Amino acid sequence: MIFRTTRTTRPRPALRRVRTTPTPRPLRHRLDASRVEEIPLHAADGVRLGLTRVDPGDRGRPAVLLLHGHTASADMFLLPETRNLVDVLLDEGYEPWLLDWRGSCRLPYNETGRRYTYDDVALYDIPAAVSHIRERIGDRPLFAVAHCIGSLTLSLSMTAGLVPGLAGVVSQGVFLTPKLAGRTSLRMTVAGELLRTRIDHIPVDFRTVGLWSKYTPLFALASRGADCPDPTCQILHNSAWGTGASLFVHENLAEATHDRLAQLLGPAPLWILPHLRRIELARTVVRWHDGDHRYRALPANALDAAGRIDTPVLLLAGSENGLWLDSQKLCRDVLAHRRPELDVTYTEIPGYGHLDTFLGRGAALDVYGHILDFLGAHR
Amino acid sequence: MPETNEAAGQRAVAEQIEHGGTGLGLNDLLAKVGAAGTPTGQDPPAAPADTGDAPAERDEAALTAEIAAVAGRHLPSGRLAPDADFFDAGGTSVAAVELVAELEELLGREIDLDEVFADARPASLARRWLASGHVPPTGATVPGGPRAADAPAPVAADPATVLPPGAAAPAAAGGTPPGNTPLPPASPPGAVAPAGPVPLAASPSGAARPAALLPHAAAPLAVPGPAGPIGGDLAPRARREDLDQILADLALADRLPFTDLPEPVPPRRILLTGATGFLGSHLLLDLLRHSDAHVYCLVRAADEDAALARLGEALRSYRLPWSSEVRRRITVLPGDLRHPRLGLSEETWHTLAREVDSVVGVAAAVDFLRGYRSLRASNVLGALTLAELAATGRPKPLHHISSVAVFNEVGITSMGEDDPLAHVDRLVSGYDQSKWAAETALRRARDHGLVVTALRPGGIGGHTTTGAYNPLDLSSGLISAFGRHRTVPAFRYLNVAPVDRVSRVAAAVVCEPDAWGFDYHLTGVPSTLDDVVRDMALGGMHVRVQDWDEWRADTLARLEAEPVPELAFLGRVLRSPTALKLCEATLTGPAAEDTRTAALVDALGLPPAARYDSRAQLRTYQKLAADGLARLPHRDDRPYLWFDERTEGSVGPVGAPASEPCSMALTLSLASMYQLVEERRIDVAGEVTCPAVHPGPLTVAHGDVWVRPDEGIPHQHGLRHRLLRYRLELTDLDGGTWWLEGHKYARARRDVWRQTRALTVEIGRAGESASFAGEVVVPADTYVRDQIDGIRVDPRLTGRERRAAKLTWLAWFGLEMGRGLAGPFARAAADLLDLRRTPAPTERHR
Repeated sequence: MIFRTTRTTRPRPALRRVRTTPTPRPLRHRLDASRVEEIPLHAADGVRLGLTRVDPGDRGRPAVLLLHGHTASADMFLLPETRNLVDVLLDEGYEPWLLDWRGSCRLPYNETGRRYTYDDVALYDIPAAVSHIRERIGDRPLFAVAHCIGSLTLSLSMTAGLVPGLAGVVSQGVFLTPKLAGRTSLRMTVAGELLRTRIDHIPVDFRTVGLWSKYTPLFALASRGADCPDPTCQILHNSAWGTGASLFVHENLAEATHDRLAQLLGPAPLWILPHLRRIELARTVVRWHDGDHRYRALPANALDAAGRIDTPVLLLAGSENGLWLDSQKLCRDVLAHRRPELDVTYTEIPGYGHLDTFLGRGAALDVYGHILDFLGAHR
Repeated sequence: MPETNEAAGQRAVAEQIEHGGTGLGLNDLLAKVGAAGTPTGQDPPAAPADTGDAPAERDEAALTAEIAAVAGRHLPSGRLAPDADFFDAGGTSVAAVELVAELEELLGREIDLDEVFADARPASLARRWLASGHVPPTGATVPGGPRAADAPAPVAADPATVLPPGAAAPAAAGGTPPGNTPLPPASPPGAVAPAGPVPLAASPSGAARPAALLPHAAAPLAVPGPAGPIGGDLAPRARREDLDQILADLALADRLPFTDLPEPVPPRRILLTGATGFLGSHLLLDLLRHSDAHVYCLVRAADEDAALARLGEALRSYRLPWSSEVRRRITVLPGDLRHPRLGLSEETWHTLAREVDSVVGVAAAVDFLRGYRSLRASNVLGALTLAELAATGRPKPLHHISSVAVFNEVGITSMGEDDPLAHVDRLVSGYDQSKWAAETALRRARDHGLVVTALRPGGIGGHTTTGAYNPLDLSSGLISAFGRHRTVPAFRYLNVAPVDRVSRVAAAVVCEPDAWGFDYHLTGVPSTLDDVVRDMALGGMHVRVQDWDEWRADTLARLEAEPVPELAFLGRVLRSPTALKLCEATLTGPAAEDTRTAALVDALGLPPAARYDSRAQLRTYQKLAADGLARLPHRDDRPYLWFDERTEGSVGPVGAPASEPCSMALTLSLASMYQLVEERRIDVAGEVTCPAVHPGPLTVAHGDVWVRPDEGIPHQHGLRHRLLRYRLELTDLDGGTWWLEGHKYARARRDVWRQTRALTVEIGRAGESASFAGEVVVPADTYVRDQIDGIRVDPRLTGRERRAAKLTWLAWFGLEMGRGLAGPFARAAADLLDLRRTPAPTERHR
């Protein structure tokens, strides 16, 4: 037998951590190291998070909190190979703050850490970051720019009233009304239920698991009909962790970004699927914990509590978003019907998918202009 | 010195230089033209041809002055030099139509509109009309013969004498009122391609003219041709004097310096012309996106601020981003393609020649009505000036946006990238001629070592995602007319590609050194007539195919019967014999082949070309409709498909049991499938009988049904998903107005059949809250009878189309209802799955 499923080399056992706690791995950026301040932030439930402040050199600028998507990290706003959002914000007179919430791939929780749901992010992580930033910036305005799940959980925090008084929120991809394609949803459920007893996360980097592993069938499935031979690109672009959706428009990524996708996006935990599925089937952000009173600050249904949103919101979405489809347009429509008093605008970015709105090589031209216009109008 | 005079002077010199054989280089010559204020005065030798007939000359001068004065009133600057072109001075096609009307009154004779478009310099108009005025009416349309006698110059033998006789120059000096004339560049968009040909302003005279113009239109061969018809050959021919001018312009390419090969690296600094145009602005963004280059944009404006403002306005109008991020990567250069050195200072010119490493020429005057003379400054001389820049200083490639118009000869057999171009003497429209001349001149430039890429788009359709389109493009007008009148002319192929595709491929060529120096067709996948008819049928617009002549007459008649100001330009094109030839050649032309382009696209890993089908056109069509060009099916039209729905049930005051009977007899109709798919909405008419509300029946004044509104998201947290939402405005017999809001809900319960039929309703007075509530249900026995068997379809459709319409509706609605009903069950099932044991993680580190 050439293909043996039994390993010839025993995996190295993990070092038992007795003194150290999880720490975020270093950021990858091309800023002057002295300008980047890493803040060891702990959420109220004790989980270590990452908060980064980029020092603009002068005081008095409005702050902008950047929230990454699930399995991504603050690195997605700091791409050294393209003109990134932090560069643009610094040039336009803002002070960027980057939060690595517990779903960040700079932190170990997705792969090995203790489990969490999006309730934890909305209840602990985002309010902790916002209150820390508020302490530091005083009464200067604070904006938030959030991507994907970062934006979804921010919507839950906002409707719970945990982060009042933001000067404005830019939400990319999805906000209050998540919507997946029926096919994506079905595959997510089937795959999730089949795999949940066998694995607990889906890696995206082939090199970390080897050619022959229990993940091989997943990579093989993801490669079906793919144009790009890179397995990491296949499992993200062609399959979105096995769900069959597409996370970005391939052509929009710079080659350098494409080659380091595995650094930018980490493994996706499977145990988050039940909460994601509940949210997606309801087409609304809903709380996971029903009977746990620690979470009662969160609304059972964020859309019903949308009246608590007290800040202008810009909904951004790429016209080719293969994962969340036209969720943002739906959100605009629903809020226009139900909460006409809210200041919600929707902007579609032609030719962009989901991730490439921040990772794309032309994102500065096509996307950041809308963000700057919005921030400028409300600063 | 008034600018217009200067321009006229420059032109006269330029023309003399073109024909004379001085030993100067092109740049010197152009510089001389630019520097010389009025060298015409010291050029008496040009005049000898006219020595004979002094009174005629005076008449001509007087008439010229008169025409110039009249024409000046139609220009933004208010003045026109006798030897300046009306269009170059900022005249629009609409203004030209008005001008012709006024001149007809003034001269008391009918004037061929095409004549004005062919050469709109007052001096030359005067000369031609004086010449033709002397001949008996029978030969009136052929001014060639008499002119030969009257103004002896334009004989084919010597190109130099084709020049307007020197008389024009004195007339220029004497005929123009003194005073400062504003810059022509300050004119409104219209003269040079970025803006395009025919502004959409309403033109009453445009609609009023046809009576006078049609006789000419009926005789398409009446194109004035001084050379006379060639025996037995009925093919339309170019005018002799245009051909002579073209040959002279081609010779200019010979003056280009010899140049080295450019360094084969992706460009870092690009000069782009035409960035305010439709293609140019999209190309600007694609160049920025797909390269790291800084782009210098030549923009026609007085200064940098104005240029920046104009560029920003153009980008915004095409729904392109215009932010600080875009601005930091571009530099605007106020200038004018038509002027020597692009209208730039010598210093800027030399800086550009040294530093720029790629020249992309997109700017062109795109006007199918104007003649060669009026277009050559932008389309031919401008291209040559860019070639001059490319060959000066650091060698750089020139990427020239040509057009498949270079093949636009009636009866051409193939349009491959390397196939021979059309015979220039068979190109009738000035636009085709000018694009041909530019490309041919640049082919000659290749012999000087210049790397010239010719990129030939066909029709450029609207953006597939933003819907941005070129309002002045013929195809926008044609698509609008197709949809409006539900007819298409029989054509062979439409070589149309969406602008995003054209600009993406063009940008790829500019950025890839191995792609430079060849000819490319940016035509995408040609659509056949069948494709287009099927596409429109898919969109719910069943069109009928007509013969070209029949279609043209029909469309003109309809445009006259119900004038659409936004489509006035289409009417003008359809009435112009010259433009008609262009249309005819386009419609009967073969499919453009794009082998080399397809190979490049494949090698670069870009997505292969897709046909510009109904899906790709949808956004454009929506925008066309929003802007008043096209028209979407409307609820007032005869419906496409309709059926009845009867419901019975009971209502009662809010809070009390529903005990009063209530029934509805509604007709649900669709204006088109488009409405269903895009708006998810059905129109409602009919009656509501509800004695509790009003003893008489209530009529539906306005009613809509939305299918799965907002994706069926429940009103309140829970599993009650919305299937349908009814919103009716009712009027009772006494004139009172009421509203009715009804919902069908999907629930995770086993009464699925009833869920699809039961409508929970609330009724209230207009502006007040609900006063009655209850439930009405479609009786099970009428459901199939009315809503499936009872579906009726527009009888004007063919039987096959009717069956397809009915099936499409049932399939769409069935799927939507299925999805809506499945929603709550899926959530209930997910709750069950969530009860499964969650195993402890089995894997730590692999």
